[in-house]
Amino acid sequence: MQSDGQPPILELRNFSHTYLEGTPRASEGVRNISFRIQPGERVGIVGATRSGKSTVVDSFVHLLRLKPGQVFYRGEDVAVPGYDRARLRREVGIVFQQPESQIIEAVVGADVAFGPTAAGLSAAETRERVEESLNTLGLPYPEYRLRYVHALSGGQRRRVAIAGVLAMHTPVLVLDEPMAGLDPRGRRELLDLLIRLQKDRDLTLVVCSASLTDASLLCDRFIVLDRGSVVMDGPAREVLRDADRLAELDITLPEPVVGAREMQKLFPDFPTDLLTEDELESELLKRLGVA
Amino acid sequence: MLELQRNVIFGQFVYTGSFVHRMDARVKIAATVVFIVASFLVDSFLGFAVLLPLLVAIVLVSRIPLGYVLRGSRLFIAFLVFILIFQVLFYPGDVPESDYFWHWGILSISREGLYTAGIIAARVILLYYVTTMLMLTTSLVDLTNGLELILGPLQRLRVPVNELVLVFVIAIKFVPVFIEEMERLARAQTARGVPFDEGGAITRARRLGRLLVPIFISGFARADTLTVAMNTRSYRGGMGRTKLRQMHASLSDWLILALVIAWTIAAWMA
Repeated sequence: MQSDGQPPILELRNFSHTYLEGTPRASEGVRNISFRIQPGERVGIVGATRSGKSTVVDSFVHLLRLKPGQVFYRGEDVAVPGYDRARLRREVGIVFQQPESQIIEAVVGADVAFGPTAAGLSAAETRERVEESLNTLGLPYPEYRLRYVHALSGGQRRRVAIAGVLAMHTPVLVLDEPMAGLDPRGRRELLDLLIRLQKDRDLTLVVCSASLTDASLLCDRFIVLDRGSVVMDGPAREVLRDADRLAELDITLPEPVVGAREMQKLFPDFPTDLLTEDELESELLKRLGVA
Repeated sequence: MLELQRNVIFGQFVYTGSFVHRMDARVKIAATVVFIVASFLVDSFLGFAVLLPLLVAIVLVSRIPLGYVLRGSRLFIAFLVFILIFQVLFYPGDVPESDYFWHWGILSISREGLYTAGIIAARVILLYYVTTMLMLTTSLVDLTNGLELILGPLQRLRVPVNELVLVFVIAIKFVPVFIEEMERLARAQTARGVPFDEGGAITRARRLGRLLVPIFISGFARADTLTVAMNTRSYRGGMGRTKLRQMHASLSDWLILALVIAWTIAAWMA
């Protein structure tokens, strides 16, 4: 996890945040969160509702009233006066839980072009980015370029939102509940796409979810949040080993882990750090062979 | 970054368990109406000065921090000041030459113009303040029930009281919902590179315009969802509906109402 002297790409240091602080409607979002994410890492931030996931996501690109000394991008404090927030937002791409909220333009092509244009790319480059992003997301450019966003289905709108972020070619991609509201096929396609993108572009990937099902296929490290604090942080298998604790925290477990927990009724020492059905199967066969 | 909810508190409900919160909703509504009438009748600064201690007492007893109320009125006050500047500059009155401080074409600053603008400001602030305090201290349910009971007699004249009250209360209570929605939209768009948190007042205001269309769309969607939810729960207006909780105004409630009426009359006479 720690790499050679290079500063972490994202870092939170004792990050605490209270919404509407100092008013009677104040509510605490997160308390004392610290972690580092290195370039190229694939991290899942997992927790039930109100665990503080969205607060953490918003902090990455300075969407909150941040105090200095808490949030760092490539070793630089993002909350000091004069910090180039516009650049930060061009480098850390976020796909929010409700994709509708981040769609700015009424027409698909124009919306995907918004980021590249704002970043100062030429018309030709922008067009190329838009075409590439829409095609990658399975929305063929010639067909979807001029469609109205509000006339698309929920799943397609999410793809437009993702395309808008991909077109920015950000080194960091953050997705908040990317699978919510997608059907099984849509999920599988998005999952494949993210795995491919992460490899091709050497992305730093952060996936937030209340479910480990998808995160376990995408990420190799989990940070588990509970009521605004980090309760577990480590390699995926290590975190899955403590499946009972995860279940207590109201986190949806991946299917192999659910199966493994059932198996523990027969074999009390059955491991839960399984990432795929194949692993579950071979573990089970091993036990049956012995028994 | 953008925390609009700090600057616009209209329509919010903040429970502190204070005496004001526990007062009978009908009495609070009646007192608000008395203040609204007073805002039309009182026409001297002395009159408003007489009302001031009573108004301050309300916020103190309610235990809602004064700073919160003031901060939450900032945008409203800014808007008011903007309008009053025009009111002063274009004051049309027949003013003797000696009363002008400055004069250019149809633009002028006169003693009378300033005075009238001041009185209007006091009236509008009073209106805004009492309705905001009513909503800060009265829950949605109490507000609805209170209004229905007060307007109940009109039902005999075939006025659809229940429906009217419902529409009124929903309209007001949706204001904070939309403010929150705007905040969410502004955050998401900022993340994509529309910098809502940078630039001067006018640039910021122009960017807010971008949020209008999505806000309207989500408004219609919300209204639609609410309608469906009410229909599936067999909402059919006030006909034959009874209340689980009856309202009881205590002696202290009536005394307070009497005090408010007496005080406003004193302010009117002043």
